Amino acid sequence: MPTSIFLLLCWLALTCLSLGTVMLGQGALILLLAVAKAWLITDGFMELRHGPQRWRWLLLSWALVLAALVGLSLAANT
Amino acid sequence: MSTSLEPMPRQLPGDLAMWLFILAELSVFAILILAFAVTRQLKPQLFATSRALLDSSTGLAMTLSLLSAGLLAALAQVQVRKHRSRRAAVLLLAALLVASVYVALKLGEYRHLLGAGLGIEHNTFFTLYWILTGFHFLHVLLGMLILAWLAQMAWRRSLGPGTCSGFESGVLYWHMVDLVWVLLFPLVYLLG
Repeated sequence: MPTSIFLLLCWLALTCLSLGTVMLGQGALILLLAVAKAWLITDGFMELRHGPQRWRWLLLSWALVLAALVGLSLAANT
Repeated sequence: MSTSLEPMPRQLPGDLAMWLFILAELSVFAILILAFAVTRQLKPQLFATSRALLDSSTGLAMTLSLLSAGLLAALAQVQVRKHRSRRAAVLLLAALLVASVYVALKLGEYRHLLGAGLGIEHNTFFTLYWILTGFHFLHVLLGMLILAWLAQMAWRRSLGPGTCSGFESGVLYWHMVDLVWVLLFPLVYLLG
C-alpha cells in the first residue's frame, strides 16, 4: 500500500476514534480509545512500525501505562 | 538518515537525539497527567463540577485540528523523500494553517475562562488545567515554529539527502505533540 494512502487511513481511523471518544463521553472505554489513537500515531505517523521494536514498545507503553494508571484512579472513585 | 522512498526496515526515523528529547518530554507530561489524575481522585466532586464548565466539542475540534496537521506534516515527509520539496512546503503550510485553528480555539477558550473568573488560582482543577494545557499549548507553538522553518527550507529546495533526517526529526516533534494530546483530551475534557 502506498505510504500516502496508509497515512490517510491512519488519519481517518484517528478521526473516527476521536468522534467515538466524545460520543461515549465517559468510562474506561475512552481510555482504550486513547491508547488506540496513540498506537496509530506512533506506528503510523511516527513510522515506528518500521523502527526498532524496543522504541516502538517504549512509546506505546507510555500511553498504555498512563491510561492504565488513570483508569485505576477512576476505578478507585467508583 | 533516510533517503529512499520508503523507510528502511527496523531503522529509527529522524535523529536519535530527537527521540531522546521526545522521551524526556513524554516523561514530564506523564508526571503532569498523573498529578491531574491523582488530584481528581482526591477531589472528584470539584473536578466533576469544574470540568462541566469546559466545552468538549471545542476539545474535539482542537483534536481534529492537531491530528489533521499531523497528517499533512507526515504527507510532507513523504514528498521530501521523493525529492518534491515544493510540494512538501505547500503541505507544511497547509499543516500550519490547520494547526492555527487549534491556536485560535485554545486562545478563545482561555479568554472565555478568564472572562468567567476561572483563572489559574480559581480552584485545584483550574490550577492543573492551566498548567497542563498551557504547557502543551507552548509545545504546539514551538512545533508550529519548527514546521514553518521546515517549510521555508523545503521551499528553497535546500533539503537534500543530508538534511532529510533533520526534516524527519522536526516532523517527529509535531507527532509527539499529537501523542500527548490524545491522552490529555479525554482526561481534561471528558472524564468526570
